[in-house]
Amino acid sequence: MRGGRRVAIVGVGYSDAGRRTGLSERHHAAQAARAALADAGLESADIDGLTTWGGNPIDFAHMLGFSPLRWHLDVGISPAFISPAIHAAHAVASGQADVVVAMRVILQQPSRANLWAGGTGMAFDAQFQHPFGDLMPAQWAGLLTNRYLHESDATEEDFANFAVTQRGYAANNPEALLREPLTAEDYLAAPYISKPLRLLDCDYPCDSGAAVIFTTEQRARDLRQKPVFVEATALSAIHDMTFELLPDMVRTSPVHCLQELWSNTDLTAADLDCAQLYDGFSVITLQWLEALGVCEPGQAGPFVSSGGTSLTGALPTNTDGGACNVGRRHGANFCIEATRQLRGGQSGERQVADAEVALWANAVGPFTGAMLLTGS
Amino acid sequence: MTQQADLARPAPPEMVIDALSAPFWAAARERRLELQRCQDCGLFIHLPRPVCRRCGSFRLEFEPVSGRGSVYSFTETRRVFHPFFADRVPYLLASIELAEQTDLRMLSNLVGIAEPDVRFGMPVEVTFEDLSADLTIPVFAPAGSLA
Repeated sequence: MRGGRRVAIVGVGYSDAGRRTGLSERHHAAQAARAALADAGLESADIDGLTTWGGNPIDFAHMLGFSPLRWHLDVGISPAFISPAIHAAHAVASGQADVVVAMRVILQQPSRANLWAGGTGMAFDAQFQHPFGDLMPAQWAGLLTNRYLHESDATEEDFANFAVTQRGYAANNPEALLREPLTAEDYLAAPYISKPLRLLDCDYPCDSGAAVIFTTEQRARDLRQKPVFVEATALSAIHDMTFELLPDMVRTSPVHCLQELWSNTDLTAADLDCAQLYDGFSVITLQWLEALGVCEPGQAGPFVSSGGTSLTGALPTNTDGGACNVGRRHGANFCIEATRQLRGGQSGERQVADAEVALWANAVGPFTGAMLLTGS
Repeated sequence: MTQQADLARPAPPEMVIDALSAPFWAAARERRLELQRCQDCGLFIHLPRPVCRRCGSFRLEFEPVSGRGSVYSFTETRRVFHPFFADRVPYLLASIELAEQTDLRMLSNLVGIAEPDVRFGMPVEVTFEDLSADLTIPVFAPAGSLA
């Protein structure tokens, strides 16, 4: 990051994630934070900043013995985990705090029950969505996927190959919730949710907590793990939250976000050893791949089908198996996987050899964020 | 405004109509499509907002539009996400590009056409559907298909 202190990721941790765990947000927050502290070799008293989407940072901080904090931020609806992560990194860079925990705590949403009770979820303009039966994110994803299929060379078979490739990575990730082998036929046999979007294009809802600890390069040198450095960050917002009204559903916020990101670093997309690109719905990852320019416009589908995102491909992508398989950690999994890849030797069978530069990026459509990490 | 459930049929999802959007729904009730338009620079604005994003004016009024447009994208919902829609599944959602202005989009339903027959860019025109005693929504049908 240009300006300010150099920042490193020194600790990462998950809660015991799973389907309907019965545990509260505080349970998942506590487990994830303690795991990240242990990973880093830090004590509660070392922490002086905390931010989270899900739960409340002040509540979590006192529960975990971090008080007093000198920096905290309650992140509302944002591009998944990237907002807490970017704000934490910049709080350290600017000197507002020295050791900051960024968290995403998310419980498996009883979506339909919530809607039936009158909840509006993330819809700011529900009165222009709900009466038309537009009720769930899978439906705007159906609109984006259909337009993408119309404009690009991608086919349903490419989407099937994307799901198969991700599951292949997940098979080598003990923390993934879905690991059994998957075939293209399995994908094509899964039901449409909002045609052409199929069940296996969607991330896998679960209860989870994730925590990532940011500190200065100087502090990082004395800690347990090999530091992973924050090279550049970018946030983007190009539209309000009505995905359904995006004027261009194919070239959305990732394009702007990456323009901003590359303007903040001397590195380029050609330097990436792996990428962890949001997959709340399959089409999101394909949009990021095209925005990165790793293939020609409209060619992300064939790029995936020809092995471009596999471990031996041009850009190993979503090497933890993605949220479709590790579960909806809401972007935090991509930060944690990128960090482990750059530490080296922590990603087992899915380790990218000699990984030095990794990108992780969240969300699509109206808003996104991205963070570029380096191993030295 | 809240729709009351009756025994025969689940109510539509609860929705809150605010002062900004009330003219849209009042016009729909009378089977007219009206959208907010900046009285200073002429920009149509949907969804309703208090200020014009192009010129900063607060002088925004609702004006009738032609109701003609084309299909930018569409999706066929196969799941029941709310009991009101249980007997409508599958149904078509679409992002309609309205004729009045480039990139002027409206989220609505496509009616009078089956999913395999929908084409990107196909011309459509507005019609109206009563969801309840006090809620009418503008929906779109293939151009020329309405008697």
